[in-house]
Amino acid sequence: MTDNETKAEAGAGLIQYSTENVVPFGPVHPALKEPEYFKLYLRGEKIVDVIPRIGYVHRGLEKAAEQRRWSQNTYLFERTCGICSFIHSLCYVQAVEGLTPYEVPRRALYIRLIVAELERIHSHLLWVGLLGHWAGFDTLFMWVWRDREIVLDLVEAIAGNRVHKSLVTITGVKKDIPEGMKSRIVERIKYLADRARFYKHIVDTESTLLARTRKVGNLKAETAQRLCAVGPLIRSTGIPRDVRADDPYAAYGEVPLDVVTRSEGDVHSLLQLRLDEIVASVKAIDYALEHMPGGPIRLKIPPAIPAGEYATHCEAPRGEIFYFARSSGGVSPDRVKVRTPTMANLPTAIELLKGLTMADVPVVLTAIDPCFGCMDRMSFVNLDSQKQWTWSGEELRQYGIRKYFPERKI
Amino acid sequence: MPKIEDAFKSLGAQIDSSKPGLIILKVALQDLTNSIKTVVEQLGISHLSTMTGLDLGENIDVLYHFWKNDLIASVRVSVPKSNKHASSIVEIVPGAILYEMEVHDLFGVIFDGNPWMDRRLLLPDRYPTDLPPPLLKETKASEIRKAVGIER
Amino acid sequence: MNACSCNGCDIEIVAALTPRYDAERFGAVLVPSPRHADVLVVTGVASPQMKDRLIRIYEQIPEPKYVLAIGACACGGGVFKGCYNAGQGIDNVLPVDMFVPGCPPRPEAILYGIIKLLGKVKGNRKPS
Repeated sequence: MTDNETKAEAGAGLIQYSTENVVPFGPVHPALKEPEYFKLYLRGEKIVDVIPRIGYVHRGLEKAAEQRRWSQNTYLFERTCGICSFIHSLCYVQAVEGLTPYEVPRRALYIRLIVAELERIHSHLLWVGLLGHWAGFDTLFMWVWRDREIVLDLVEAIAGNRVHKSLVTITGVKKDIPEGMKSRIVERIKYLADRARFYKHIVDTESTLLARTRKVGNLKAETAQRLCAVGPLIRSTGIPRDVRADDPYAAYGEVPLDVVTRSEGDVHSLLQLRLDEIVASVKAIDYALEHMPGGPIRLKIPPAIPAGEYATHCEAPRGEIFYFARSSGGVSPDRVKVRTPTMANLPTAIELLKGLTMADVPVVLTAIDPCFGCMDRMSFVNLDSQKQWTWSGEELRQYGIRKYFPERKI
Repeated sequence: MPKIEDAFKSLGAQIDSSKPGLIILKVALQDLTNSIKTVVEQLGISHLSTMTGLDLGENIDVLYHFWKNDLIASVRVSVPKSNKHASSIVEIVPGAILYEMEVHDLFGVIFDGNPWMDRRLLLPDRYPTDLPPPLLKETKASEIRKAVGIER
Repeated sequence: MNACSCNGCDIEIVAALTPRYDAERFGAVLVPSPRHADVLVVTGVASPQMKDRLIRIYEQIPEPKYVLAIGACACGGGVFKGCYNAGQGIDNVLPVDMFVPGCPPRPEAILYGIIKLLGKVKGNRKPS
């Protein structure tokens, strides 16, 4: 990728995908050879353009899936993302089930819902903690991540592992939730709902957070729509797009769910939205546990999957996750396509970054909920001074804190 | 569903609605832009979930998956490997920009009109230009690994 | 450093720093820059894009330095063995002093790996 690029416009003037003639670098510049998630172009302190490069997290999963059996791929796709691993395996399995004539037993659908919502709670708590860290409020990070351990304990009790649950299988789940466990789950999640309400209060009153999140990163509904954003990001602009409500899967057709929206579109509203979603998840899990039907949790099916194509989607904590599967009738897939929610939100992320000051970059980027590694390295080019440099995530985080709270010692 | 079927019958589409909640509308490559306009502007199904590429031997099929409420409507075109060009739809759906880049990286399809066609999104810089794109059936993972220098 | 991982190991490493596990009581602290570090903790498969960066970061760490490979991917490619953009273990890129297997390893296992390594570091000898 060279930096001698020419200007082009697209998107009916709403979004400019520019390839501006930036800085006449030499043919090979050592800093540019390295992969970074974002390259940010600045004028003064303001970001004017952003170029994404996400290849460094690319592993070649879709091709690998073709060399593995349908049942083995559950373990593979789980590991697309450690934070939303369950929903990946669930969506994959749903895509495969769509190719078969089998109906997944109802009890399995309820268990899938319960674990999916537990994962949502863990993911949202993780995010709230991280946002606190990036905004310079580490106390919040420590508190929230301690609460998050409760969810991980529950997940471990149900599935046997904290992160990669390996609970879903084609046409069912592998482990049941025994009666005796139900009261323990209900008690713990009620505590988490209380904690979420407590954090909501903090988010509304704590000055560090308010300064860094209110009216920061203002996303308009129209922009989010045109750029096909998903999840909390688009719901923070007032659009109630949620796969669980629009196109119910697992037991979502039977379990009532509150779809949370806000209208401000700023980072502060994202905080409130996710905390509200934790409360909504607790309600859904409670209902599901109470109304869980009896019966088997899986079927035994032959290893070959009938030929055909199927597409399906689920609502991961970060938004819509999409899987497409194609079978030629064998024991291995012909094609599996994965689209993560983070990828769907990337164009919106780029648009949000434009016009921001550098100090707001860490908070807004975290708000979009990217992967860890993505925050590791930011590349900056100052168009006025022609200077360019790269920063680690930590350096950028400290810059933001210094700018907002100059009296603070870091 | 009937609205979509009617709208696409006039485009001469092959319609597959055998699975509930899913409809696949296969159209000729030259009707791609019109079809996308029909889905987005005429039928109001504006959310593009993603694009899938499929290596089907002589052609690469590209599916554009749109979502509204409880329907996933996919527009399908066949791009011949002998002439891997398709029109970009970023003017109609700006959110398609990265999906087109992905299909370009992994299958080699060129989306004319996409302003970022010259950039790589997913593949490493050192992926050799003389090696076929990774998701084509003919490309072996082991060849790629040797070429990008991660083989033991 | 996340060298192309699913983040599963990363979140367990970060969890090891939170109050329940508290890695700091063993003297382990996350630092912002390689120049302040003694130990490089690596997760992931090291895709080609990350390989160079990993080496560059390693070179920036002053001697004596140690490398801790966390997770099945860092130890040997994990579930991504054979994938076209995934390496087969960080030891193909850097000299690794301690492997902590698991997918992901629990925070306790990560702490154990750190403590074992610190034990060897105190003895001022590279573990064999």
